[in-house]
Amino acid sequence: MDVTITKTENKTIVTLVGRLDTTNADKFQQDIAPLFEEANPDIELDCTDMDYTSSQGLRIFLMLQKSVSSKGGSMVMSNMKPQVKEIFDITGFSNIIRIL
Amino acid sequence: MMNKRFDPIEGRNAEIIESVMNTAEVSSLPEDLQFKIRLCVEEVEENILCYSGSKWVEVTVAIVDGMLHICFKDGGIEFDPLAKPDPDINAPIEMRQVGGLGIFICKQMMDSLNYHFENDCNVFEMCKKIQ
Repeated sequence: MDVTITKTENKTIVTLVGRLDTTNADKFQQDIAPLFEEANPDIELDCTDMDYTSSQGLRIFLMLQKSVSSKGGSMVMSNMKPQVKEIFDITGFSNIIRIL
Repeated sequence: MMNKRFDPIEGRNAEIIESVMNTAEVSSLPEDLQFKIRLCVEEVEENILCYSGSKWVEVTVAIVDGMLHICFKDGGIEFDPLAKPDPDINAPIEMRQVGGLGIFICKQMMDSLNYHFENDCNVFEMCKKIQ
C-alpha cells in the first residue's frame, strides 16, 4: 500500500494505492500516524486505487475514524471500488465511516 | 486438488495465500469470487497465527459437487473461532471494538464454515458454492 499525504490549506488528502493486508498493515499504520496528530482533522482518503483491504486495514480505518470523531473532525473515504465497498458494507463500517 | 503443509508458518502468510490462489480450483474462478476467497484465506490464516500458536498449518483445497472446500489444519491449542460472538455491526462508533472482524467477514462471504478439534488439531473448513 502506497500512501501519499497532501495538505491543503484546510484539508488533508490521503491517496491510497494498492493492497492493504496483514503484510503491510503495520507500515500503513506508521505511514498515516501524522493523521492522528491533527488538531482539527478534515481528512479525505482517496480510495480510487485501493484494491483490497483485510480486517487488519479495517481496524486501522476504525482507529482513525475514532480519533477524528473524538476531536469533532471530519473524515471521508472517496471513490471506493465496489469490491472494497462490499467489505465496508458487510461489516457495518459504511454506517460509521462516511463513504462518498 | 492441493494438500500442502507449511512448517513453520511464521512470516509465510503471503506464501500460503498465493498457494491457495494459484491452485487450478481457485485461479479459474471469476475475479470477484477470487477476491472473496483471498480475503477469507487471509483472515483464517491471521486467526491461526494470533490464537492457535501452531508452528505449522496444513491447507487443503478441493472442489466437491460444485463446492469449493478450503480446509486448514493446525496443531495449536484448541480454539474454536466460530464460538466467538459476532461483532455488533450496528453499534455506534464509540461502542465498536477494534478487531474481531476476520471470521465475521468469512461468515458473510462463504456459504458455510465448520470447525472441529480432532487428534489434537484444530480443523477449520470453509466452503463456497461455485456452480
